[in-house]
Order: sequence, then structure tokens, then C-alpha cells
Amino acid sequence: MAGGDAVRADLEQVFRTAWPRVVAVAARVVGDRHRAEDVAQEVFLSFARSSVPAGEAPGWLAVAAAHTALNHLRSDRRRATREEAAGAPDPTAPDVADDVVTRDERRRVRAALARLPRRQAVALVLRHSGLSYAEVAAALDLSPGSVGTTVRRAESALREELTRHAPHH
Amino acid sequence: MRRTTERHPSDGTLRRLVDEPAGVADADREHVAGCPACLSGLAAAQRDATAAAAALGTGGPAGTGTDAAWHRLSAAVAAGRPRPAAAPRRRWALRRPLVAGLGVVVVLAGGGVAAAGDWLQVFRTEQVAPVTVTQADLVALPDLTAYGEVEVLEEPDVREVPDAAAAEAATGLSVPEVAELPRGVTGEPSYQAGGRISAVFTFSAEQAAQAAAEAGEQLPPPPPGLDGGQFRLTAGPGVAAVWPSANGVPALVVARAGAPTGESSGIPFATARDYLLSLPGIPEDLAAQLRGFGGAGTTLPLPVPAGLATSEPADVDGAPATVLTSRDGLVAGVVWVEDGVVTAVAGSLGADEVLAVARGLDG
Repeated sequence: MAGGDAVRADLEQVFRTAWPRVVAVAARVVGDRHRAEDVAQEVFLSFARSSVPAGEAPGWLAVAAAHTALNHLRSDRRRATREEAAGAPDPTAPDVADDVVTRDERRRVRAALARLPRRQAVALVLRHSGLSYAEVAAALDLSPGSVGTTVRRAESALREELTRHAPHH
Repeated sequence: MRRTTERHPSDGTLRRLVDEPAGVADADREHVAGCPACLSGLAAAQRDATAAAAALGTGGPAGTGTDAAWHRLSAAVAAGRPRPAAAPRRRWALRRPLVAGLGVVVVLAGGGVAAAGDWLQVFRTEQVAPVTVTQADLVALPDLTAYGEVEVLEEPDVREVPDAAAAEAATGLSVPEVAELPRGVTGEPSYQAGGRISAVFTFSAEQAAQAAAEAGEQLPPPPPGLDGGQFRLTAGPGVAAVWPSANGVPALVVARAGAPTGESSGIPFATARDYLLSLPGIPEDLAAQLRGFGGAGTTLPLPVPAGLATSEPADVDGAPATVLTSRDGLVAGVVWVEDGVVTAVAGSLGADEVLAVARGLDG
């Protein structure tokens, strides 16, 4: 390992504690376990050389997972738009089966997430990943009072996005 | 005797009642219980929350076990890939990754030229000069969302394309041909193409003052015209040819992109830059280095982490270039700008090898 490129000493300990949740946060965004794990690996690689204090690591990792996953979504969305325009077949990998929403609905959910203002999208995903209001507030540097407002707006916007882009046939 | 509030609780409070009622004040809860309007709002919040929970369901348990995932991470860490600097400690809300070493090439591959429109072009990249910053500086850079709104207008959408012709067709940029591959680099490259990326930052004095107050500092008074002022940063399109290697670090990358441009709708760039650099959270030594960039604002600062890479000047066929070498000597790159186009050559090579490739490029 290069001298000036130190890997933090607590990496394994933090990793073993936080891995499941980081994957879970990413999975809520990308809707696919394998891709979520790729996102989580990316996040931990950044974390490995960061100087984030150990006490802030869980929040940092959750936020980083949400952002990284949302970044992946945005490029997916543009690719899909282009392929639709070109009439190419949809190469999206089969999604993990879900009782509640169909694969097409999942795709629309991801497109809608990608269109939300970033802070709303992150707050939404973190809250639905089980972070408390206080944890979301700390992670996003929001006041605890405004977490509810941000999540509420995100859910409302998500509904509107899904309604607006619902299939018309 | 407890009193209910007269005022309707906010939508945010209603939302919290849905799934964390213990966090809501008693007075608010009692108000809601007896208020038809709030009960209706609560029901709507409940419906949206349930729908969102269903929409965001992940289905299925975790795939790979933690042990396997840890082995994968250990291997990647041991491979010593230069990573983008970590997100800032306090403000991680918006993360356009800051780049280091080889990562510079990736960012420049998204570089481009903006259409002027009715925007006043504030700087145009005609030279490349390195700024040496430590990782500590990088992680301390503030998130601009603390100081206003950041709206991403266009995403670069970097993707793989079948060949050089497709890359050119997608971007209008030709992929320079490598005359002779360095020893150890073999096979056919994969081609990447990316469109333009652009974002508008709208400065808000109110938000900036709030951010400063949270940091326990006072916001310096903004220059006239900056509040509400907009800055557009544009880069791209870009193309790259990438020769892979076994360890994940590309053996060789040749990338070309339109140079990034910054534009302002109002006040002069130098004024805005100096003010932004003086904001709480920007390390003073970095700010000083940035101020040193030419008055004409034509230099593209490359964030080169001091612990990761060294840089030195060179020339490529008469154009001033910057050579970056990782401290461990395993990765090197050379970057130069000519006629508003950035070209970069980098890889798991020595500085002399990347320079040889750069000087031998055709096209």
C-alpha cells in the first residue's frame, strides 16, 4: 500500500456492521440486489480512504449509498430514453421479483426517483431504509423538524411523477 | 391541563405522525385529533407514505454474504486504485465527485464547450495548471447547495460504444489514434462516449448566511449583484479509448473532450470567484492558489491530492502540458488543452511512456 494513501484502520469493523444497511439503501434506489452491491462496494472504497469520524460513519455511508445509487439511475434513465427513441430493445436486467409492483412499475419508480430534487430523493430513501428522523436530519444536515417536510414533499412528488408517467393503455 | 395548539401543524409534522408519532409534540397530536382538516392531511400523508414504501420495496433478502463482500472490497482496496476524494465531512448532500490522479482523466473526458447564448462567458479553458491540495482540503470543500440552488441541466451519460466511429458519431469528437502501444498494453480498447454535462448554481445570500451561521461563522457581505446570480458550468462531450488490465486500473486511457467552461449571467467572474473563495469552509491555502490563476480566468485547475500524485510541466507538440504521476509511481497521466479541446493520456505506465503516447497521437 502506498504510504500517502492510507486505508483507515477501522475499515473492516465499520464494513461488517454497516454493509447490510448500505446495500439496503442502494437497493431501494436501484431496485436490484446485485447492482446495489456494486454501489455499496463503490461507497466503501471511498470510505476506506476517507477521514470521516467513526461516529459519523453510518450516516455518511447511508448518504453516500443513496447518492451513488441515484447517480447510477440518472445515467440509466438517459440510456433508456435514447434506446426507446432508437427503438432498441430494453436491456434492463430482470428485477428482483416484488409482490407489490411490476417490473415496469419499478422502472417508472426509478425514473421518478431520478427526477426528484436530490435532497428530497435522499431523505425519502433514507427514511424508508429505516433511519430515524434524527438520523436523517444528522445525515443531511437538516433540522429534525424539516425532515418530515422534506420526506412529505418527496412522497407527494413521487406520487405525482408516477401518476403523470403512468402508462396510458 | 394540557392545551392544544391553535395553529395547524405543518405537513412535515403530519408526516412524522405517520411513522414516528413519539417525535411529535403532544399539543400538535391533540390538535390533529380534533381537527378535520389536519386529519384529512394526515390521511393523505399516510396514503403517500404507504405508496412510497411499496414503490421503494427492494424485494428479496441480501445476496452476497458479508464475508464475500468483504473479500471483494479488500481486494479492491489492495489494488490501490486512486479513488475520488471522499465526500466532505459535514455536507455530503450533493456529491459531484472531486477527482484525483487518474480520475482527472475521467472528469476531463466529460469536458466540453458551452454555447454562449445570452450568458456572459466568464472563463474558457485554454491552459491546464495543477493545484496541489491535500485530501483534507478536498474533504473540507463545501457543498454548494449550502449556498444556493444547484440544478443539473444535463447529465453526461458516459457509456460504452462499439467502436471509434460510433464514439465520433455520438459526440462529434474524433478519438485520437495511438501510433504505437507501450510495452505491456495489448488488445483492442473499449470506447466510451459521453454527452455534455451542465449545471446552474444560483447563489442565495440567505442560504449562505444560514450555512455560515451553522458553521459558527459570519458570512462576508456578498458583492452587489451576486445574490440570485447564476453561474453555469458546462463540460462535454467527451470520448475515450480504454485498454483494460487485469487489476482494474486501465492499462491505458486516451481521452479527448471539449474543455469545461464557466459562465455568469451577471457580475464579473473574478468578483464572484474571489467572493466564493472567501466563504467559510474553503481552506485559505487552496483559495489563495485558486486566486493565483490568471486574471483572464483561462486556466483549468486540476485538484491533485498532494499525498497521491505529483505534477510537473511538459509539452506535447508545442502545447503546454501537465504530467501527473502517482506517488507510488504506478500510474501516470498527461493532460493538455489545445483549441478548446482537452486531451489526456493516462494509464498504469511511467511518465515517459504516457508522454511518448501523447506525442505520437494521430488525429
